[in-house]
Formats: sequence, structure tokens, C-alpha cells
Amino acid sequence: MHETGIALDILSSARAAVRARLEEEAELGGRGRLVTVKVAIGELAAVEPELLRLAWEAAVAGGPDAGARLEVRWCPTHRRCPACAAPKDRAEGSWMPLCPDCGAPLQVEGGQELDLESVEFDHEDGEPAPPDAAPHLQRSPRP
Amino acid sequence: MSEIIEVRRRLLEANDARAAGLREQFRGAGTLAVDVVSSPGAGKTTLLEQTVARLRGRRRCAVLVGDVATENDARRIRAAQVPAHQIVTGGACHLDAHLVADGLAAARFDQPELLFLENVGNLVCPASYDLGEDFKAVLLSVTEGDDKPEKYPAMFARAEVCLLTKTDLLPHVPFDLEAARARVLALNPSVRFLEVAALDGSGVDAWCALLEERLEAKRVGARV
Repeated sequence: MHETGIALDILSSARAAVRARLEEEAELGGRGRLVTVKVAIGELAAVEPELLRLAWEAAVAGGPDAGARLEVRWCPTHRRCPACAAPKDRAEGSWMPLCPDCGAPLQVEGGQELDLESVEFDHEDGEPAPPDAAPHLQRSPRP
Repeated sequence: MSEIIEVRRRLLEANDARAAGLREQFRGAGTLAVDVVSSPGAGKTTLLEQTVARLRGRRRCAVLVGDVATENDARRIRAAQVPAHQIVTGGACHLDAHLVADGLAAARFDQPELLFLENVGNLVCPASYDLGEDFKAVLLSVTEGDDKPEKYPAMFARAEVCLLTKTDLLPHVPFDLEAARARVLALNPSVRFLEVAALDGSGVDAWCALLEERLEAKRVGARV
């Protein structure tokens, strides 16, 4: 259940991107309120999209970006057996690196994604939000 | 007025950058760092107690222990007269590179040759976080199901060493050692297996030999 930590990483990265953009064009002023944040999650990234959405809702709730949406682009893995020269579907939940038919090592492409892709925000008047403004989800441990 | 920024950044970028810094620090200090992972109760702390007790005379060892609560495990290691520092994660289910860096700063170990990062007992989340370690060692105890590698594939696929633990209990449990090995190999064809029973000490010498061999190899590599 590390989706909470990942959601907080998404939030602080998205805020950092907005802040950098606003600093770039200082005449815009004000602050940016997150509207939609898009992420890519690979099949092999060990992140559950549904849990990530719940964690995201908790991360933004009650804060300056309350209501911001998280869109997850799911990136499947493609496996191909060089010996049988055919794509291989995996059984649900399996991670087999070898061809189930002939035992040769499969060529595996994609599925490792864990990326912030884009951030949509609204220009608003006011002070910029600090990058880690989710005090109710404190992640730093006790010393 | 709304605006869209294209970002395209890895989310674990901050963790990975910090882990790269730790890896560099370990290389400079001649430290072999091992991330020790398993489900709760597979015997990580008992294995490390036995490991550091055997290596103590000839190698400087140190242990950084992560747990959701309590100092118990660090206390057990310190009882073997080896420095240990407890990271109380306060709810987090895994160690990340920031926790390790902060833990090391607080621990002030004296340039250990072998540094063990005893992760939180969890076969899921620790697989995703690079801690700057040289390799991950995963424990699978014979009191668990022999199909665990298939249930938690990421961890078994990413570990370089798989320790089958509590093997002294094999006569009393239905664990199929060969089936478990085959399942790990299917995920990770180059894995190295060791069988240990830390309570009676069997197999611990072979594990220590592997650690020292890796430490020497790292030092030779650093000198070249």
C-alpha cells in the first residue's frame, strides 16, 4: 500500500511544475489551482490504479487543490517470444519471463511506466500553494 | 483560464536520485549494502543476528532496520555488539531512499564494510524503491506457502539472492522446496539460492561467504 506515498509524489511534482510555469511568466502572477493531473502507470510498476485514485482524493481533499482530478493512463506490457515469433498473453497476475510454450526468454516491452505526463491548472489570484501542502497525510517518520 | 503543461517525468525521480547518491556514497566508502526483504516473520532479524555475530571479528558491520513501530529489532542486533539504528516509519510500509539517507545521518555508523538495510516486512512495496543497495536478498521461509513467489512476483524477480529460511522445520511442514525453487527460477533465472536455518546456524556460513565474496568483488572493481 505505497499508493499514498506515490499520490503525494504526484501532488508535489504537479505543484512544482505549476510553480515553475508561473515563475517563468512572472507577469501572470497569482497561483495555479490543479484541475487535472495525468499519469502513466505500467502493468509492472506495482501500483494499483484504483488505490492510487483513492489516495489522490485523500491527498487533495481540504487543500488548495481540492477536487483536482487524477487521470491514469494504463500501460500494458507486450511480451513476444523470439523462438515462436509470436506475442504471448500473460495469465492474470503472472510475471513469467519465459515463454509458456517453448521456455525461451520472452522479449518484454513497456509496463515499467510510473510517470507524471501533464498538468492542467487554472490561473487564480492569491499566493502559490507550497509544494507539500498535504499536512494531514504526513509522510515523514518520527525520528 | 486554464492551461496544460506537458511534464513527462518519472514519479520516483526524487527517490532514484537520492538512491544514486547513496550508491555513490557506498562505493566511495567501500561499503557493500544489502536490502534484506521478506514477508513479516520470515526471519530477517534472526538471520542478521547470526550473520553479524559471525562476521563481527573480521568485518565492520552495521544494520539499519525499518519497522512501522518499536525499537525491538535494532535492540536485538545491538545485543550482538554490532551498531544498529532503527527507522520507525510511523505507518509507511517500506523504506525509501530518503528514509535510508536520514537514518544513516542519524546513525553515524563508522564506515561499515557491510551495511544491512532490513526492510519493513512486506513483499509488495519495497520492490519499487531503490535504496542505493548493491543487491536485494529476499527470504522465503518454509513455514510460508511454496507458491509465494508467484503471488508476489516483483520482489522475487528483482532479488539477486533468495534465502530459503527455517529449513530445520522442513520435516514438520508441507513446504515443497523444489517447487518453490522452480517458481523463483521461472521469474528470475539468474537468482542464487541459499538454504539456512538461522536458529541452529546451518547455512549461515555460506551466506556470510557470499557477502564477503561480493564485498571483495566490489572493492576490486572500485580499484580498477
